[in-house]
Amino acid sequence: MKFYFSAALAVFISLPAFFPAAQAQRVVVSKSLGEVSFLDLSGLRTGGDAAASGFRMVLESDLTRSGWFNLTGGGRAEFTVLGSIEAEGGRISASCEAYRTMTRERCLSESYRGGAHEARALAHRMADDIVRALTGHPGMAASKIVMVGSRTGKKELYLCDADGAGLRQLTRDNAISLAPRWSPDGRQIVYTSYYRTQFPDIFLVTLASGERRCLANFPGLNSSASFAPGGRELSLILSKDGNPDLYVMDARGDRITRLTATKRAAEACPSWSPDGNEIVFVSDSPGTPQLFITGRDGGAPRRLAIGGAQNVDPDWGANGYIAYSSLIGGQFQVCVVNPATGETRQISRDDANYEDPAWAPDGRHIFCVRRQGYHSRIFIIDTLSSSCISLLAETEKGDWYSPDCSGKYKNAK
Amino acid sequence: MTGKHLYSVLIVMLVCALAMTGCRSRKGGRVSGDNIGGEIGSDGSSLPTRMEGDLNILTSVKYDAVMFDYDSAQIRESERPKMEAVADYLKNNRDVGVIIEGNCDERGSSEYNLALGERRAIAARAYLVGLGIDGANVQTKSYGEEKPVNPGHDESAWSVNRRAEFVFFKR
Repeated sequence: MKFYFSAALAVFISLPAFFPAAQAQRVVVSKSLGEVSFLDLSGLRTGGDAAASGFRMVLESDLTRSGWFNLTGGGRAEFTVLGSIEAEGGRISASCEAYRTMTRERCLSESYRGGAHEARALAHRMADDIVRALTGHPGMAASKIVMVGSRTGKKELYLCDADGAGLRQLTRDNAISLAPRWSPDGRQIVYTSYYRTQFPDIFLVTLASGERRCLANFPGLNSSASFAPGGRELSLILSKDGNPDLYVMDARGDRITRLTATKRAAEACPSWSPDGNEIVFVSDSPGTPQLFITGRDGGAPRRLAIGGAQNVDPDWGANGYIAYSSLIGGQFQVCVVNPATGETRQISRDDANYEDPAWAPDGRHIFCVRRQGYHSRIFIIDTLSSSCISLLAETEKGDWYSPDCSGKYKNAK
Repeated sequence: MTGKHLYSVLIVMLVCALAMTGCRSRKGGRVSGDNIGGEIGSDGSSLPTRMEGDLNILTSVKYDAVMFDYDSAQIRESERPKMEAVADYLKNNRDVGVIIEGNCDERGSSEYNLALGERRAIAARAYLVGLGIDGANVQTKSYGEEKPVNPGHDESAWSVNRRAEFVFFKR
């Protein structure tokens, strides 16, 4: 939890003008927050074959993407990684030790073994281990991304790694699939689809077996399901009682509690607080869609008093901060709010629309949709450096929506 | 110039007078049709169980879609005759049910638009119930922003995409 506190704080102190109080704490927390350290990889011996050099490329790309490091081949680097990457007989074997160069303090000693087909996954794991050991912060390299893509002409679910590699189509329903969310253990995906009944229903897919189960097909709307951090409950939007409202449902589907009862308004987009006690959601009861927080057992919702003509698509990070999309000057921009203080910060800044943000498990990056010229792609924004990169290669056709990252709660122990 | 001005004032007065009498006659004649859908948006009752199995959709029966203002689920005055036509058809065909499909324009959150589309469908359903239609025969479905009739990206496209469509089926 300590890691998350400092990572979350970093989100805010990187814009000191807005948060003068936080600026004063900068020296106390860590000098490297938001700064880039040199990391020397020249001592990581790498075999000449494709598998080993592929592992090395994935690792370097992950470490750069983490935002914490500048990779060097020598010189005076703050950190040093030693070890080897070797492939033999269809197997890959790697080991690494990470040091603080000055003090020669060893922060990590780990080995990684598996089939050559697992090289990418192993490299992601090594990258996250190095990030954790040297910065104290979790990484995002091992996270999987689920999203909606429309390249077949229908909206289907797709999966890829956090670096955009390994893109594959998950559903082939020829229906409309929307709003996918990971289960906390990363083994299941819950989503809204018009599959089978041609009404919007909630389905749960278990990735290993491919088994699919309908969780909710009540009369009217069943949408926006989202797992509680413990994985035993889901929040969702149902209209069975006469109007779209927020509900909490047992993951087995046998106990349902209604949390809102707004006859004149619609609720949408629920997301759980990391402790599972509260839910942030959208309600248009003020006349425009805005963010509200309610207790897991109901109670009077509290409106988050933040700017923006509309505030939608909240994602409550394990770091305690809520990422959301705000209509500012006619454009949607990704913002972050501290729900305790109401302090906000705009993360995206250019003239495109940035929508549907999802926290990466590192609590530092945000995956979101960047829409420009009526073309939607997934981008990864670094909340510390403001760098913004495309998830998928430019050559990947089609429009992409609704990203969600696995492992969001993995590091929140 | 003065003449034109007077003319437009007269037209405004005439429109106001018509609008007021329109409201009054409805309040007197069809109270329920006015209060539900228009203002409350939902009659507060639960939705009916879905019809099981493949529905016998009456593709030849077509009624005009009801249009909505941006971010609104209120049945506009101008759309009420469309609702009444649907109600009359259902009254004359007791073996027919209807699925009301709520839709939104492409702007804003797609998940919020799913909820807004459902609100539009429910508002239209409540209006039909207010006109004497049995709610058990009226299903609602939201397509959010997923089924635009006009794929354009301007108000002329958006205004026709913010709609509730009526799909009839044999019960």
